[in-house]
Amino acid sequence: MKLDRKIVEIGRIIPRIDAFNKVRGLEKYASDYHSKDMIWVGVKRAGIPHARLKKIKIDKAKHLKGVIDVLTHKDVKGTNRQGVVRKDQPVLVDDKIRYAGDAVALVLAKDKKVLMHALSLIAIDYEPLPLIFDAEKAINDKKNLVHEDNPDGNVLLHGKIETGKGNKAFSECDLVVEASFEVPYQEHAYLETEAGWAILDSDGMLTITVSTQTPFRDRSEVAEALGLDIKKVRIIAPYCGGAFGGKDGITVQTLLGLAALTVPGKPVKIWLNREESFISSVKRHQARLYYKLGAKKDGKLHALDVRFFYDTGPYDHLGGVVMALGLEHSGGPYHIPNTNLKGWVVYTNNPIGGAFRAFGVPQVTFAMEQMVDMVAKRLNLSPLEIRLRNVIKKGDKIPIGTTMLSSTGITDCLNILKQHPLWKERERWKRDAPIFKKRGVGIASIMHAMGYGPVVPDYANAKIELTEDGKFRIFCGVVDMGQGNINSYMQIAANILNQDIDNIELILPDTEKTLSSGSSSASRTTYTFGNALIDASKTLKEYILNRVADLIMAKSIDEFTMVPGKIIHLPTGKSFLLKEITKFLNDSERIVTKHYRAPVSKELVSIDERLRLHGIPHLIFSFVSHLAYVEIDELTGEVEVKKYLSITDSGKIINPQILEQQIHGAIAQGLGYAIYEDFVVEDGKAKTLDFSTYIIPTAMDLPDIESINVELHESSGPFGMKGAGEINTNGPLPAVANGVADALDIRIFRSPLTGERILMALKEKKEMSN
Amino acid sequence: MKIRFILNGETKVIDVEADRRVIDVIREDLGLTGTKEACGRGECGSCTILVDGSPKLSCLMLAAQLEGREIITIEGIKKDSDMHPIQEAFIKHGAVQCGFCTPGMVLVSFDLLKRNKKPSRDEIREAISGNLCRCTGYQKIVDAIEAAAKREL
Amino acid sequence: MRKLFLPKSLDELWEILSKDPDISIYAGGTDFLVKMQKGIINPSSIVCIERIDELKGIREDNDKIWIGACTTHTELLSNHIIKENFPVLLKAIKVLGSPLIRNMGTIGGNICTASPAGDTLPPLYILDAELEICTKDSLSIVAIKDFITGPGKTSLKKGQILKGIFIRKNNNYTIHHYEKVGQRKALSIAIVSMAALLKVSSNGDIEDARLSWGSVAPMVIRSNNVEDFLKGKKFSIETLKALKSIVEKEVSPIDDIRATALYRKLVASNLVLRLIKYEI
Repeated sequence: MKLDRKIVEIGRIIPRIDAFNKVRGLEKYASDYHSKDMIWVGVKRAGIPHARLKKIKIDKAKHLKGVIDVLTHKDVKGTNRQGVVRKDQPVLVDDKIRYAGDAVALVLAKDKKVLMHALSLIAIDYEPLPLIFDAEKAINDKKNLVHEDNPDGNVLLHGKIETGKGNKAFSECDLVVEASFEVPYQEHAYLETEAGWAILDSDGMLTITVSTQTPFRDRSEVAEALGLDIKKVRIIAPYCGGAFGGKDGITVQTLLGLAALTVPGKPVKIWLNREESFISSVKRHQARLYYKLGAKKDGKLHALDVRFFYDTGPYDHLGGVVMALGLEHSGGPYHIPNTNLKGWVVYTNNPIGGAFRAFGVPQVTFAMEQMVDMVAKRLNLSPLEIRLRNVIKKGDKIPIGTTMLSSTGITDCLNILKQHPLWKERERWKRDAPIFKKRGVGIASIMHAMGYGPVVPDYANAKIELTEDGKFRIFCGVVDMGQGNINSYMQIAANILNQDIDNIELILPDTEKTLSSGSSSASRTTYTFGNALIDASKTLKEYILNRVADLIMAKSIDEFTMVPGKIIHLPTGKSFLLKEITKFLNDSERIVTKHYRAPVSKELVSIDERLRLHGIPHLIFSFVSHLAYVEIDELTGEVEVKKYLSITDSGKIINPQILEQQIHGAIAQGLGYAIYEDFVVEDGKAKTLDFSTYIIPTAMDLPDIESINVELHESSGPFGMKGAGEINTNGPLPAVANGVADALDIRIFRSPLTGERILMALKEKKEMSN
Repeated sequence: MKIRFILNGETKVIDVEADRRVIDVIREDLGLTGTKEACGRGECGSCTILVDGSPKLSCLMLAAQLEGREIITIEGIKKDSDMHPIQEAFIKHGAVQCGFCTPGMVLVSFDLLKRNKKPSRDEIREAISGNLCRCTGYQKIVDAIEAAAKREL
Repeated sequence: MRKLFLPKSLDELWEILSKDPDISIYAGGTDFLVKMQKGIINPSSIVCIERIDELKGIREDNDKIWIGACTTHTELLSNHIIKENFPVLLKAIKVLGSPLIRNMGTIGGNICTASPAGDTLPPLYILDAELEICTKDSLSIVAIKDFITGPGKTSLKKGQILKGIFIRKNNNYTIHHYEKVGQRKALSIAIVSMAALLKVSSNGDIEDARLSWGSVAPMVIRSNNVEDFLKGKKFSIETLKALKSIVEKEVSPIDDIRATALYRKLVASNLVLRLIKYEI
């Protein structure tokens, strides 16, 4: 296939550069590393959810033929603790088992068969402890604790925000609606399970190649947990086979490091199987939410009371930050003058709740968007009308009391929806339902914040080089886990430098080569690194043109333009090859690095310091409106989404195809969350451990999606863009739930909306009316 | 056990344990890591290979079953040029995100278009329904296969 | 390392079986190898029978059709004899597993796995499929309902194999219906499935009816009460509604990770209403 030789432009579809190797099976993922002399490493998991560790019996395993070593916490020389905020997770359990997926021992073996056998020979002596499995109840449990050293007992973080008159304002409302909601865990189900490869070389350098979203943070965590000099740890991050937040932080990195330290010079490999991945990995938090929403007769939302409980399982991972983002979004994109918002994120012995695309927002959106519909129904307003009357405009206060200062396109999103044929023709479509089918149309409006928030620096360091071959090499500091951000970096640099993609080279994240630029997360990767890269590319261009201008004694650099591989002096038409010019530049001119730090909210009202540390308030938000055509089978209760519309305001567009990929993918995961995905945990043990019980949608379960963009210009963003990776994940669950309510006049308060849940609700309704 | 088969047009004679999984033979013994593993239970299609032209799950085949077969993996799908038109369509239509399902998707598409020159979108969706993708929502994969079909492969 | 055999003929298979009567047999591997890799079974020797031509193919045999046990689902789907004679079987196979599973899995495998959720089983029960059970020296014919003795259990003994399936042709039926309710549209395991063959006369009388359900009991359910009730009645929504309470009594489902017993019961009876779509 021929590459497009055109100068890369912003706003144009540029085929993803990574796809060229991926379609041929040539891209080397972390799980693809293999060699004849490598050692397989496997993890002995606790298998029980809560117990005091007494003894780990490893002798039998250690003496098995083909076993190289068996390691326990005694072999860990550092802190043996990892975590992003609270460092509360052991590399290998040393005191207590806090969930069934805890790593207890590590086996190094010559092949997979021996490895599996050896793992089965390890026995754990333990004293069982009472199980803590209900987040809401665990708050007040002072006796049974997941972490005895946590000052707040089982509460990892509690946040509360009050604005206006708070709950007193309910007495001023003409109508008040109350409901409670529950959502289960959602599993990321990235196709490439946790995998990595490590080696300790003769200079004492530990190199870990791993499927991760956070190479630079991983390096610090590995060094600290294993007691190594950070300079002796190198993390290489190839393209991930999916991540979605599930590889935001340590998965197998430290275990790989520990194994590699044991066998210097030999490569070691870990690749979790699907079951182990499901048992041990982080999930979207399961949650219980209590909502009370009051409105005036004219349809204006007036008061909101929220209490919610996020189950973070045994370790912090990013639980506090997830809860804080949920709190920030708990009132949706609406102007509600009086709010009383409270969130708890709580330790239990269930699987770990952590980062997952949209990060704490889908849970509250499920509740809030149904509440808005319930109010609309009571007031006899259409779901669209009530939203149009209440959505925030630039300069309005959002429900946490801070001011919306970014570009604010939610009204535009809703107005486009209002004019769309799918909205206008909905009644006719509903009437045409075939026998035993009921049809409904649901909508949702969403906002979603971008970036890390006010305290943790949201920065990137871009590095770009004019190579000795006259090409441009971008050193990408942020991982591409599949979302195509690295292609956007190429597009940004090539556009500024007037190059075609053939003249751009990419260096993937590697702590030795690229510069620290934060995580691939929080809808921030293109925004933050893109801004740094724009600066770096412009500066490099200036250096190059200055050099040429000086060489030929031109009046100014304005007389030049760059074209692929060349510089043209416009007045004379003379051209200069970049591969020649590069010889005249020294390294400090050829190589440019630039730092960028995202702007943050300066408002100090209503948000306490602890919440600020956990990331709220944010400054920049994206917006969407969603519409779902749903059809319910009355005989089985099954829901089918027949058509789906998304209207997105994520600023200006760098590459329409990559944006649409993000929209489709997020909606697909959102529809999975809405209808199919239910990670079942009983007594601390996961029950849905494969793809035949944990159900993600196939190609036959998803509709074609129509997506429309509202291209407001976000002045702080690279080329006017803002974050787009997560927001569309939030809409499908409430849109489908609202569609089901429209079709059946039944509210479903617990997701997912499976056939069983809906048929049972139908049955109950029928019995009530009889 | 000695096993003789054709891999991507080349005759291979290998000496492996008869009950070794075919996916391990391909990835580890023969170094072709384009064939992916994501479940090991036949529930995701990432490990798809063509066996005498028919797409099969290499995680649910044992080495002995390779005997005498003609195997094509993602690395062997191209013809003369460096890429098959289906692969080009996947790139052009944005059907690739993380890329982990892509090899399997390309191979089942190859089989579909061989059997059905002008599949409908529903037929395409049905044909790829044994291959899970977590990134794309499938729509652009369907677009790509539809486009590849129209170029009359 | 376990021993693995790949016989190319029945003679070779008989020899293997005579030397190693405890050997485990598999064809497509889509159930067997999953169990082996999960460690649920750990046989010391296995034989793969996918290469035995005598176990493959679809042939007309007077008033019957013979299907070789190792015929894959994909082969059945594209076969015109099956399409003409047994649309109900075809409809079931169309939603079995996924295209990849259908390329590998065989009809004989689906029968011998004897899962209550096996997709070919409800159609085979109402088609009165007969199974050809062979040893080296003997051949016997067993009705499928007698062959499957429990969930995952069959009457197959050591040294025996399922060679083929006989199904009598019957062009009497006007309605050939199969529906599977699973957790999604592909790659799904039946929560409830229902197969139905009905003969409805031109004036709307039900002359013959055969119905069966999967996943609502330890084995496929086919009931005289249900079939007798329908025979002679008008084919109407009222008749089907009246049938629902009978169906509810006949099924005895359980709770599992996919659904509760109550849901299964409701759906099993609701599904009969779907037949009304065939009303002329």
